[in-house]
Amino acid sequence: MQSIVKHEPAFSLLQVNLAPGEVLTAEAGAMVARSSNLTMEVKLNADPSAGFFDKVKALFVAFVRKLVGGESFFVNQFSSPQGGWVWLAPAMSGAIKEIPLQGRSMLFSAGAYLASAGPVSLRMRFGGLRALLAKEGAFFIEAGGQGNIFVTSYGGIDEVICNGSYVVDNGHLVGFDSTLDFTIRSSGGGLMGLVASGEGLVCEFRGQGRILLQSRNTGSLVGWLTRLLP
Amino acid sequence: MQTNILYRPSQSLAQVWLQPGESVMAETGAMVGMTPNVTMQTQAGGVGKGLMRLLGGESFFRNTFTAQGGNGEVLFAPPLCGDMAVLECGMQQWVMQSSAFVASSPTIEVQTQRGGFKGLFSGAGLFTLATQGQGQVIVGAFGALEQVNVDGSMIIDTGHLVAWQSTLQYTVGKSGGGWIASFLSGEGLVCHFQGQGVVYLQSRNASEYGQAVGAMLPAREA
Amino acid sequence: MRNEIRHNPDFGVIQVTFDQPGEQVVTEAGAMVARDNAIQMQTNLQGGLGAALKRKMLGGESLFQNTFTATAPGQTLWIAPAPEGSVQVIELQPGMEIFLQSGAYLASTPGVQLDTKWQGAKGFFAGGLFLLRAHGQGLLWFATYGGCHTVDVGQQYPGYICDNTHLVAFSQGLNYQVQRLGGMKSLFLSGEGVVCSFQGQGRLWVQTRNPSSLANFLHPFRPVKSNRS
Repeated sequence: MQSIVKHEPAFSLLQVNLAPGEVLTAEAGAMVARSSNLTMEVKLNADPSAGFFDKVKALFVAFVRKLVGGESFFVNQFSSPQGGWVWLAPAMSGAIKEIPLQGRSMLFSAGAYLASAGPVSLRMRFGGLRALLAKEGAFFIEAGGQGNIFVTSYGGIDEVICNGSYVVDNGHLVGFDSTLDFTIRSSGGGLMGLVASGEGLVCEFRGQGRILLQSRNTGSLVGWLTRLLP
Repeated sequence: MQTNILYRPSQSLAQVWLQPGESVMAETGAMVGMTPNVTMQTQAGGVGKGLMRLLGGESFFRNTFTAQGGNGEVLFAPPLCGDMAVLECGMQQWVMQSSAFVASSPTIEVQTQRGGFKGLFSGAGLFTLATQGQGQVIVGAFGALEQVNVDGSMIIDTGHLVAWQSTLQYTVGKSGGGWIASFLSGEGLVCHFQGQGVVYLQSRNASEYGQAVGAMLPAREA
Repeated sequence: MRNEIRHNPDFGVIQVTFDQPGEQVVTEAGAMVARDNAIQMQTNLQGGLGAALKRKMLGGESLFQNTFTATAPGQTLWIAPAPEGSVQVIELQPGMEIFLQSGAYLASTPGVQLDTKWQGAKGFFAGGLFLLRAHGQGLLWFATYGGCHTVDVGQQYPGYICDNTHLVAFSQGLNYQVQRLGGMKSLFLSGEGVVCSFQGQGRLWVQTRNPSSLANFLHPFRPVKSNRS
């Protein structure tokens, strides 16, 4: 499998060339174009080896995810005996980043998933109240395995290494290494900071690991647009 | 008319240089800036033509910018973020999505044509625009533009189509194995292009973006 | 202090790396993306309540501003505006003045002063063209919706006309007149509305997109209020 991301960061387009028999799994609705020999199969977002009972469970989980994560129920699998190519793009403007997981596990905000290839396990992880406060919905996606995951953001993606502690505005978080722990707190500056700074709540990370930031935040976009609406 | 497209792909701006007396026609509201010796005239070119344009998703009127007594410059941009491209017309003619038109040489006739059901389902709207004559057309897209040479056949999501050469044939069909699978896949309808020629794709789908952002905005009055 | 602007013109974001403890950056409320945990944040009414209120009412800026202070060298701070588009930086020197269209201000260093300049009837006719005047010494960051195109009037061009919704900033030495393009028919039908015609010697910063076009495009996609009463 070969992949290239073009037109970064605002209107990024993912182009994937598949060798004969290779499979790319993508979020429903993400296809822009494909070679006509490539077949597309709709799958429930579940492990391919899962039995009937597991599939029922997957359907339930998919339904919950749709409700809370804004994700689609289904994924599309692209493949062909002769190989071929497919182009993918998310609905929002923003970047696409390929992350080789290499056996490590990472957590992503629920809307970040675009596509995956190779052995990747995806699980919804309940983040509790703090995840809800982090505006990421109550769930994070936990990705692990040896394959590659393609994630998308609103804005450009920057990687920050947390070495001790780092603070991220709750609307600008894309993902982080599962080695990091985080808590939710006010941005600082006492009561004034909480009420008037416009920063609201932030995520305070502790430990060693990578944090992925997005350079825009849909909450701010909505705030800015609301004043302009006809 | 010489055109330079700056800030591609996301925030593109068309810088058009005109010789003395030369003109360029543009979609209303597309002008960003210009030198003071350029004058603007607003015309519909006849009620029928204006109405057809209105039906096609463009505006009723068009503005004509003319450089007076010297060289002039005009800057144009489409309403949404995204890319622009200059299409040469003459040997080749183009068909485009109705909202793609930004500006053209006055020697080009851009006609609104009914795409019938094909147009309706192809996401390009019920109407498409077709070029006639010799000159240039500036098209705008939502997202980055990709130029694709079709040689044989290719499948393109209907919401990502911008413009294609008139030599190409296309049919609108389902994306996956069956109608139910196509619906569940979220891909809806796709265009199957056949023949030889160039297609311009955009890397985003404006109505998907509109739904994603629009849903977060405060409710409007019915 | 070092500053790098990344992801321009699509999604400009400022990455500030502090060299010394005590170095400060002032930002518009809500502009922080991330920071080292040990950087201190304070929320103030910049220049007192009167000045802040005037900025808010006339300049379209937030009432409060946040001041970030470094406590150790090497600390990083990320700042971004709300709209999609680019971030520009200007190094202000004494004697320089930059006029910013309302809402464009993003951040500055403490030596930069901001006040509102009443544009009189001229401002009124330009559709809310209230300007913020930046002067002093230091760095000034502002945001554009879309890319940022500069026009050097007096050098490259003897004069320039700019659609008022695309105007972001201009330097001292330029004066402008608010005009209509074409005749009465054009005023209502051309979609071009009102323009500013610039003369003199200075720089003009133009944004390549118009925010109300996006708002108009998104309007039909908004949820509809239910009429149950």
